[in-house]
Amino acid sequence: MGKTDAQFETRTSSVLRLNRRETLVVRIQPSRRWGFPSLGEIWHYRELLYFLVWRDVKVRYKQTVLGAAWAVLQPFLTMVVFSLFFGRFAGIPSGELPYPVFSYVGLLPWTLFSQGINQAGNSLAASAHLVTKVYFPRLLIPLAAVLALVVDFAIAFGVLLGMMLYYRIVPTSAVLWFPGFFLLALLTTLAVGLWLAALNAQYRDVRYVVPFLTQLWLFATPVIYPSFLLQGVWRVLLGLNPMTTVVEGMRWALLGVGAPPGRMVWASVGVVALLLITGLLYFRHTERTLADVV
Amino acid sequence: MGDIAVRAEGLGKRYLLGERLPYRTLRDSLARAARVPFRALTVRRREAPSQGLPASPRYLWALREVSLEVKRGEAVAIVGRNGSGKSTLLKLLARITEPTQGWAEVQGRVGALLEVGTGFHPELTGRENIFLNGVILGLNRAEIRRRFDEIVAFSELEKFLDTPVKHYSSGMYVRLAFSVAAHFVPDVLLLDEVFAVGDHAFRQKCHHRLRETLQAGTTVLLVTHDPAVAEQWCSRAVWLEGGQVRADGPSASVVQAYVASQE
Repeated sequence: MGKTDAQFETRTSSVLRLNRRETLVVRIQPSRRWGFPSLGEIWHYRELLYFLVWRDVKVRYKQTVLGAAWAVLQPFLTMVVFSLFFGRFAGIPSGELPYPVFSYVGLLPWTLFSQGINQAGNSLAASAHLVTKVYFPRLLIPLAAVLALVVDFAIAFGVLLGMMLYYRIVPTSAVLWFPGFFLLALLTTLAVGLWLAALNAQYRDVRYVVPFLTQLWLFATPVIYPSFLLQGVWRVLLGLNPMTTVVEGMRWALLGVGAPPGRMVWASVGVVALLLITGLLYFRHTERTLADVV
Repeated sequence: MGDIAVRAEGLGKRYLLGERLPYRTLRDSLARAARVPFRALTVRRREAPSQGLPASPRYLWALREVSLEVKRGEAVAIVGRNGSGKSTLLKLLARITEPTQGWAEVQGRVGALLEVGTGFHPELTGRENIFLNGVILGLNRAEIRRRFDEIVAFSELEKFLDTPVKHYSSGMYVRLAFSVAAHFVPDVLLLDEVFAVGDHAFRQKCHHRLRETLQAGTTVLLVTHDPAVAEQWCSRAVWLEGGQVRADGPSASVVQAYVASQE
């Protein structure tokens, strides 16, 4: 009896404190058809975002024999295959770099991007059970899907450091630009992921499009080949693909070879900004009716 | 808002019947978009003589012109048959879906328990799921940590805390899920018939918890089919029919009228 009373006391006080902290009144009404998700609300729900990321990271390699080694194996084995077929047999040049490092440093952001748009694209549809039962800003779902892959990126990055040691590559001061290119990679992934997630919630065709899209996009990104192979209008087209800037930028920033991506950066930033703004708008538009259609 | 915890004015939700299908295909949407200019020509000619109202698209008003006020600390039962709009009302107040018209205001922290164990992941352990589920319900990490031992004791699953939930029996699963939910004390609690869980003893415990929650001053909206449940827990009942309020008053009389209409 005494114990129950004590519990009751603590509970009551916590309820009162909550009241004082959030005397907010939530107003529920039809929203405008077009608008942006509220960043303040995302911030308010940051703890849930953290737990969604944590869940994705924890669950991804559960019940696999190799566990987190998969984060390394995927880009690493791809690099081996690429080095063999493109580097050795096809003789694709890799500038001053050994082909394995050349391709691996490109595969790092590429894996983040391709897996990110895939996971983010499926995320809303896969979270239908949440979306129809509880409220939170839906943007957290694709956001968490992308952020969870940063852990994989970090693990795979360790292997790059090993390769740099092996080939005795010392980064120059350009390495300071690395965070910028990394951020660009994240934003590109998020922008495309938002579009795909929102589309996929309504049109399940998207899940068949994504593998195809990633395949084509890989050829439009200088992961396998260096961009100096392309000239004129092709070069410009390549520059419009933000992943080009990411891959070439990381190569330059981490390995200190090639020229810094110049004006191409601004073209990429522009494209990403456009994709992100339209993606957020479209996502918010879908969010309004998400629980009814997903 | 003062003493009013929940206020709704002319709340309505309209579904396009097609939208309730699992999902549309891109092909359908493209085809529909392509047909729009033609339909303007053909549909009118074909349908004008028959009904006067266009046969499609068909709309369904799951909820229409619902206005109500719930005082802080009040417990209100929402009764009505299947499809009367009970769950839609709860989903609107929980912000899971948006109203088509009207508005509502809810004061304080809202807890929506439309099911127990929302967001449970089968691969995660009991311990991990307590945190995940708690955060999804709206608790923060510090609150969960503070109540963790209580939650575990309530569930009587101490021994299985580090076992993945997928190895739980369905009874254990529900017990864990309900224990997290039961330790979440929001200002406004939206409940959708999640009572009947576990064995008799566990049910007694849950009822005891709910009683405590009510005493702590939480406002409760409880959706139920069961007249007995409505009368047991709520002093007031709202009877929905066809998406509209048919009756609103003391639960004894409203429930009686509702039961009478069923026979």
